[in-house]
Amino acid sequence: MQQIDTTLGMYNEQGSLIATGSVAGNVLKYVGVCNKFSTQGSHFNSIVSALMNLLAQRGIFHLFVFTKVKYSASFQHVGFHELAQTDLGAILETGDTDVNDYVRRVEKVATERRLLPAKRVGAIVMNANPFTLGHRYLVEQAAQENELVYVFVVSDDVSLFTTAERLALVKQGTQDLKNVVVVTGDQYMVSYVTFPAYFLPTADEAIQFQTTLDARLFRDQIAPALQIQTRYLGSEPISRTTGIYNQVLQAELPPSVDVKVISRLTHGDQVITATRVRQAIAENQAASVLDWLPANTADFIQQNLATLQARIQKGMNINGN
Amino acid sequence: MEIKKTAIAGTLESSDIQLTISRADSGITIDLQSDVKKVFGDQIEAVIKETLKSLDVTAAKVKAVDKGALDCVIKARTVAAVQRAAETTDTPAWEVL
Repeated sequence: MQQIDTTLGMYNEQGSLIATGSVAGNVLKYVGVCNKFSTQGSHFNSIVSALMNLLAQRGIFHLFVFTKVKYSASFQHVGFHELAQTDLGAILETGDTDVNDYVRRVEKVATERRLLPAKRVGAIVMNANPFTLGHRYLVEQAAQENELVYVFVVSDDVSLFTTAERLALVKQGTQDLKNVVVVTGDQYMVSYVTFPAYFLPTADEAIQFQTTLDARLFRDQIAPALQIQTRYLGSEPISRTTGIYNQVLQAELPPSVDVKVISRLTHGDQVITATRVRQAIAENQAASVLDWLPANTADFIQQNLATLQARIQKGMNINGN
Repeated sequence: MEIKKTAIAGTLESSDIQLTISRADSGITIDLQSDVKKVFGDQIEAVIKETLKSLDVTAAKVKAVDKGALDCVIKARTVAAVQRAAETTDTPAWEVL
């Protein structure tokens, strides 16, 4: 999915490679520089400029980079701003918009709904692929315990249900809850930029690292700016990745942000899970899971069954998240 | 001149300045990063503001990463970024320089 789009190489007069860097979407990758015969940093600045100008030509002005902690300062020196770091790496961004703009946009939605100022603010991050009664139950719990609840819907378009579909189903499915604000998580929550393992099979160690970055970004950038005190999670009996993510959130967020784990809603003796819903669609057994879905999601699936099945046949992975 | 989209001009190389100009609802905001900000920060911002004024730009968000550019370079990069952002590169505003 996130393969390299372009790789640049910079050569000296003798024809030796002195710097290289690549881009994948709006993420800079694999920047490497030889400082043997030059002023410290000059090749680095040249290659980063070249990559930024290349992306500018493609209309991409908001960039991210994942790098080792020791190189974070080099990127900060060329205008990047660090979003989060762990021992293993840091994530930085630069460009015409940033996390502060994102937070202001989210705040504006809450203000327009006359929900601010609020004393108790909760948050949930979900992919909702698709929105089930399990998600609904989680939102209801949070809505009862808070004056305002932000529901951040994962924004990368790599799931069976498209981002627009997922967002619309969450909005419709929570419409009656007056203190719930549904927005996209943009590239700041469980995105391909911060947390590729959510979408791709990955070793535990990498998941641990990515989820730690994701958790710290939420703890240090998102939660304080939106005065979020509590993050709500659904307990995770099935998915390994989400299981690790939940553990990491519980380790990283407190004491700044409380974590509340809500037991999954069950129907009969089965836990409600969107994974099973997607499998049922693939197996042409959609009727068997309709009881798990709010009316709007159930209607959507019934009306678009052929489209959804065609997406699966075309190779859309439905066993991830 | 109206800023229609984001545009970038300049590089991060020594003696240059990289300017990113994007839309804003009103007013000029400048986010300047420079190793010599303490000494020349006000001067750099003033050059950018004057150049924007002479191009009749009243609303813009500017991100500037300075690597020790002289005033003439700052001016040239600002003009280039604005013209790209305003989609007026076909009719260069030479008189501003």
